[in-house]
Amino acid sequence: MKGFPAIAVFICAAAAAVCAATAAIWAATAAAPIQFREVAAKSGLHFQLNNGATGRFRQVELMTGGVAALDYNNDGCADIYFANGAALPSLEKTSPEFYNRLYRNNCDMTFTDVTEEAGVAGAGYSMAVAAGDYNNDGFTDIFVAGVNRNILYQNLGNGKFRDVTAQAGLMGVDPQRGKPWSVSAGWFDYDNDGWLDLFVSNYVAWDPRTEPSCGIPGNPIYCHPDDYPGLSNQLFHNNHDGTFTDVSESSGIARHIGKGMGVVFADFDQDGFTDIFVANDSVRGVLFHNQGNGTFKEMGLESGVALREDGSPIAGMGADFRDLDNDGLPDLVESGMMNDSFLLFRNLGKRYQFEDWGERSGILAGTRQLTGWSLGAYDFDNDGWKDLFFALSHFPNLERFIGRPVALPNKVFRNIGGQRFQDVSATAGEDFQKPAMHHGAAFADFDNDGRIDAVVSVLNGPAKLYRNVTPNAGHWLAFKLEGTRSNRQGLGAVIRVTLPDGRTLTNHATTSVGYASSSEALVRFGLGANERARRVEVRWPGAGSQVLTDVAADHVVEVKEAPAP
Amino acid sequence: MKQALLASLAFLLAGAAAAQTPAAMRAMQAYARANRLFEQNQLPQSLAALEEALAADPNNVPALTLKAKIAMGANRFDVAGECLERAVAADPSSWYARFLYGFWYYLRDDWSRALAELNAAHKLNPRDARSPLYLALTYERLGDLQKAIAFSDEAVRLEEAAGKPGANSLLTSARLLQQAGRLADCGKVLNRALELYPNSRDVHYENGRLLLKKGDARGAAAAGEEALRMPPEDVTDLQVRYLLVRAYERAGEDRLAAQQAAAIRAAEAAAGR
Repeated sequence: MKGFPAIAVFICAAAAAVCAATAAIWAATAAAPIQFREVAAKSGLHFQLNNGATGRFRQVELMTGGVAALDYNNDGCADIYFANGAALPSLEKTSPEFYNRLYRNNCDMTFTDVTEEAGVAGAGYSMAVAAGDYNNDGFTDIFVAGVNRNILYQNLGNGKFRDVTAQAGLMGVDPQRGKPWSVSAGWFDYDNDGWLDLFVSNYVAWDPRTEPSCGIPGNPIYCHPDDYPGLSNQLFHNNHDGTFTDVSESSGIARHIGKGMGVVFADFDQDGFTDIFVANDSVRGVLFHNQGNGTFKEMGLESGVALREDGSPIAGMGADFRDLDNDGLPDLVESGMMNDSFLLFRNLGKRYQFEDWGERSGILAGTRQLTGWSLGAYDFDNDGWKDLFFALSHFPNLERFIGRPVALPNKVFRNIGGQRFQDVSATAGEDFQKPAMHHGAAFADFDNDGRIDAVVSVLNGPAKLYRNVTPNAGHWLAFKLEGTRSNRQGLGAVIRVTLPDGRTLTNHATTSVGYASSSEALVRFGLGANERARRVEVRWPGAGSQVLTDVAADHVVEVKEAPAP
Repeated sequence: MKQALLASLAFLLAGAAAAQTPAAMRAMQAYARANRLFEQNQLPQSLAALEEALAADPNNVPALTLKAKIAMGANRFDVAGECLERAVAADPSSWYARFLYGFWYYLRDDWSRALAELNAAHKLNPRDARSPLYLALTYERLGDLQKAIAFSDEAVRLEEAAGKPGANSLLTSARLLQQAGRLADCGKVLNRALELYPNSRDVHYENGRLLLKKGDARGAAAAGEEALRMPPEDVTDLQVRYLLVRAYERAGEDRLAAQQAAAIRAAEAAAGR
C-alpha cells in the first residue's frame, strides 16, 4: 500500500495524459454504486409464475421460469415474454393462470399484456424461452421449450404470432423415447450460413406417472437428479425455408448424455465458428467445440470447464460466456446449488484452455451458500467491466432440512478491474434485501437510458422488474446489428471497441444468457468516462468485418452488414 | 491398552451404577452391550440393545448418541435428530452429544445451529480436535476462510499434541490454505502430510492440485499418477483423472491428457450418462 503513491507518481510523470484519463475513469467508476429499483407493479408487469405444484413433489415443479427480453414489434423498446407451468399431472394449461405471457413495452416503462391478441399463450408445461429471428424477416420469433411441448412461434410482423412448430419440424419428439423434457434453448448460426439454428438442452427422462418418492416417510422432498436417467441434447439445422433438420446425431451433439440446463454460445477459440457450453445438473458441464464442418467435439474435460477445480461436479444451472477480464476472450460463469459455489473460468487463449478463476476472484467463497438459477454478465455501472447478476433461491420445501428459509434475495457482484468480484448487493437497492423464489432472468435496457435492466421470474410469486438507477454510471454504446450475409440479428458477431486511452473492450451478440432465458440481442459496452470510442470493429460470423471510427457515446448504433466485396 | 480401557470403563460403570437407580443401571448395561456390538459392526443387534437401554432410561445419553450415530449411517437423519435433541436436553454438559448434534446440523447445512453446538462442544472439551475441525469446515461453508483456517490450525495442533496430526485435519488445512491463496503455507502442510501418510491417495491428490496451481504441471501429473495408484479414499477416480487431464494439457502432453479424458468418458458411458 505504501508503495502505491510513488509508483503512481512515477507512471504519471511518464504519461500524464494516460494517467489523467485513467484517474477520470476511476473517479467516475468509484462514484457509481450499482443500484436497481424494483418497479414491476408500477410498470403494469403483473406476471405470476405458476408451477402447478400440488404437494406431490414432482420434479418439473422445480425447474420452470424462463423469461425473454425481446423487441417483438421493432419499436425500439424491449418487450417481455414469460414461460409458465401447467396443471399437474396433466401437463396442460387448463386455465389462464398457466398461460405464457407476452408484455408489450409501451416505451414509457409501462407494459401491456398482449398475450391473447398475439396468440402466444402456449401449450403444455413450458420451461424456457429463446428469442431469435429464425427466418430473417426482421421480426424476432419465439421458441418455447417445455416438458411435453416445444413451440415455435413465428412472428408475423403485425403484433401476432403463429404456431409453426409442426411444419418447422421442431416438435422435438424422438421416435423411440418420445418428447424429452427440454429445459433451455438457444439460437445461433453454427455453420455460418446466415440462418439461425436451434440448440435445445434436455434434462432427464421423467414421467409424472412414474415419479419416484424421495425423502423419508412423512417428510417427502424432491428427488435428486441422480434418481433420473440423463438425456442427450438436440441440434436443429435451419433449412432456410422455415423448416429444420434434426442434426443431433450427425453433428455429434447426441453422443453426450447429460442433465442439461442453461446453454450459452461464444466463439471461445476465435476460429470464426460459434461454440456451445451446456451447464449440467449434478454431472459435468460440456463444451462443444465447433469443428467448422458441421460437427462438434466435446472438450469440457480437456479445456478445464467440465467440473469444479477440485474435480467435483456441481448442480449447474445458468451460465454466461463473456469476456470478463477485457482480454478479448470469452470467459465462463456458471451458477450452481448451495455448497457447490458458482464457477468462474478464465479463457487462457491458448490450446483451448481455461483456468479456474473462482477462488482468486472471490466468486467461490462469495457464492458458497447460494443457489443460483439464471444470471447475466453485464456492465451495470458502465465502467468498462462486466458485472454479474444472479437470480437466487434454494428449492421449495427445503426449509425443514436446512433450518432456514429457501427464498433468497438476488445478488450483484461488481467487477473490480477484471481481478475480482465484490458482492455489492447490500447497496444495490431495497429489493436486493428481499428474499423470493427467483428463477429466470433476462436483461435489456427497458427504459433506453443506457443502463442495463433486468426482469426476473419468481416461482409462484410476482415477477420483478429491476430498473437500473445507478447514479453517475459511465458512458455507453449499444450496437443493433443487421446481418445481410449473416443472420439478420447478427448473432455470433464479435464487436471490439477501442477507447481513446487504448483499452479494448469485447462483447458478442447472443440472446442465450443465463438459465432458460433469453436477453436482448443488442451488444453493449460501458465506456466509463470516455465520451467516444476511437474505433469499433464488428466481426460478422464467418464473414468479414467492418470498422467504425470515432463513435460518439450514449446511443444505440445501428450497423448493417456491408455487402460482399 | 484395550484391556486397560475396558477396566476403566468397568470402573466408571461401577461408579455410576452405585449412584443410579436399577432402571438406569439396566440402561447402562444394555448400552455397554450395544457399544460392544457396534464395535463388532453388528448394527441390528446393537440397535436392539440400544432400544433396551432406552426403554429402561429414555434419557440415557450414551445410548442416545450411539443410536444417533447408527441412524445417521443409515440416512435416518430424522431419527438421529430426535435422539440428539433428547441427549442434549438430558445433559447439556455432554460435549460428545453437543459435538454430534453440531455435526448433524452440519450435514443438514444448518450452519448457525451447527456453529452453536460445535462451539459449545469445543468449550466443554477444548482438547478434542473434532470440534475445531468441524468448526473449520462449517466456516468454510460460510465463506469465512480466516476463521476456517484458524480452527483447522487448532485441530492440527491438538492432534499433534495428542500424538500426530490426522490426515483429515492436515488435508482440511491444506485445502483451506489453497483456497486462501496461501500456496507456500499449503505446501508446508502437505509436506508434513506426505511425510506422515505417504500412501494416502487423498494427500497425493491434494499435492497435485497445489502443484498445478503453482504452475508445475509435470509435478502435478506425477502426483496425480501416484494418487491413482493408491487405494481409494475420499477422492474419486474422476477427481484424480480430471487433475491429470489438466496437468497433461498444461504440460503439452496431449496424448496422455486424451487418455485420461477417455477414461473419464468411458466411466461416464458405463454409468449410463
